[in-house]
Amino acid sequence: MTAQIRIDPTLCRGHAICALFFSDAVDLDQWGFGKVAVSVIDSERDLRRARRAAAACPNGAFVVTGADGSVDNGARRPRRLRVRAAR
Amino acid sequence: MIVQPDVRVHPGRGVARVDSLLPGLGPQITVDATVAGLGDPRALLLSGPPAGPIGEGLESHLARWGGLPPLDAAGVRAHLRASALDGRGGGGFPLSRKVETAMLAGGRPVLIINASESEPASRKDWTLCSQRPHLVLDGAAFVALALGIDEVVIHLHRSVGSASASLETAMAERQERGLADPRWSLSSGPDRYVSGESSAVARFVAVGEARPLFTTIPLAAEGPSGRPTVISNAETVAHLSVIARMGPDAWSGLGTASSPGPRLVTLTGAVNSPGRVLEVSGPATLGEILAADGMSNPPAAVLVGGFAGTWLLGDDAWQTPFSRDALAVVGVQPGCGLLGVLPHGACGLTETARIVRYLAGESAGQCGTCVAGLPRLADSCESLAAGTFRKRGVRKMSALADTVLGSGACGHPDAVVRLIRSTLDVFEDDVVRHLAGHACRAADHAPVFAVPEPVLAIGRDDTREWT
Repeated sequence: MTAQIRIDPTLCRGHAICALFFSDAVDLDQWGFGKVAVSVIDSERDLRRARRAAAACPNGAFVVTGADGSVDNGARRPRRLRVRAAR
Repeated sequence: MIVQPDVRVHPGRGVARVDSLLPGLGPQITVDATVAGLGDPRALLLSGPPAGPIGEGLESHLARWGGLPPLDAAGVRAHLRASALDGRGGGGFPLSRKVETAMLAGGRPVLIINASESEPASRKDWTLCSQRPHLVLDGAAFVALALGIDEVVIHLHRSVGSASASLETAMAERQERGLADPRWSLSSGPDRYVSGESSAVARFVAVGEARPLFTTIPLAAEGPSGRPTVISNAETVAHLSVIARMGPDAWSGLGTASSPGPRLVTLTGAVNSPGRVLEVSGPATLGEILAADGMSNPPAAVLVGGFAGTWLLGDDAWQTPFSRDALAVVGVQPGCGLLGVLPHGACGLTETARIVRYLAGESAGQCGTCVAGLPRLADSCESLAAGTFRKRGVRKMSALADTVLGSGACGHPDAVVRLIRSTLDVFEDDVVRHLAGHACRAADHAPVFAVPEPVLAIGRDDTREWT
């Protein structure tokens, strides 16, 4: 499991959704543009989170690559966020 | 491996000699430092006729240099390896590595000669293309031969009319003469600073959009067209045409161990002839280079490597040899060989602010942090220069610079940050004075560097224009 993540700065528009799904790996600057803090994925759980972030990015800027360097974003759509009603 | 310093300067004599060399890097170098301009017989690339409207003709070129030596592809590649010819566009990447990467990648490579020279004050590629077009074309033909292709694209900015006219005349001359040349095409792209960056050039030639690419694969392995793309600076290939004729060892011997071969530099700022291009052989110091333009004392400071370069205090610069190793010791890269001179009495902070404002406007407009961050950095530099800054402002500016560093697809924002950091470092005393609210001693000094107006509208003229 040597997946890697990267953010294409030319596509990133600062929606910052990747940080919502995978805050450990993404640093946001003051405008919300993401910079990858930890690029190597070493657990199944992190890979799931990375794929969710990739699927959620509206610009396709967040990319997960497999061991051979090819894009491996996994599932196409993000799992729906479970929003609990405030009580 | 222990890297030894490649030059020792003998202060009293004004001549530097190479005393130690890395093993296996060409012959022992004993050439004296030489600095020569266009038409000077002591120069190599710049020797020959003085500046003219159309450049040296084929007759004169062949009479001085002889015909193309009968090399095959393997022979050219061996010459590239043996000479260790490094890229002269700014990155300093060895051309042989690019060629070999492209050969390993397989497929039919694309060769682009980058003569766009985006650095506004640099004139070396323009000088070669307009005055010595056959050296550039010879070299380009050799690289095409090494890659096994018969097609070369020469890329220029739209504004350099005289260079492209000179190249076209030279191409016609060669065709008439029946030289075994590749097919030439001239590409002219937008004048924006960042559009001369290599991936932007590759993308422009492939799909007509002159903006840098975000990619982790080297262009030489796979370019935007899907084919391996070798991009080489015009000066770099001009050197190859000379290497093929005089042999890699003799050519390397004209440089230093870390910087093989002669190098072209452009002078700008407070020099006698701004825009003058000089050829430097042997381990010349920056002082010797500036002395060739008639300067007798160290200036206040020198901006080395381009507008997005690094400042050196004049006294330090004067003693520093113009070689990759010696410059690296003082934290400087030779870049495109631009030497910008700041005179005594001018303000380095003001000049930097003007340059940063220009560079901020020249962003390709792709990466958010560059678009949002560089104008803010320019604001900070301007208020620092104007003396309306407080200490907190400098901390904020440094934090902003840290954010911007490494945030882009290309090196543009990083280069701006490097310039700002070197400014804060080199002009430390001035920074303190400006922060204390004292009036700038150079407040009414005329602007030193000819910084152009930035091309502000992004994407306005990003369309392809082919001939």
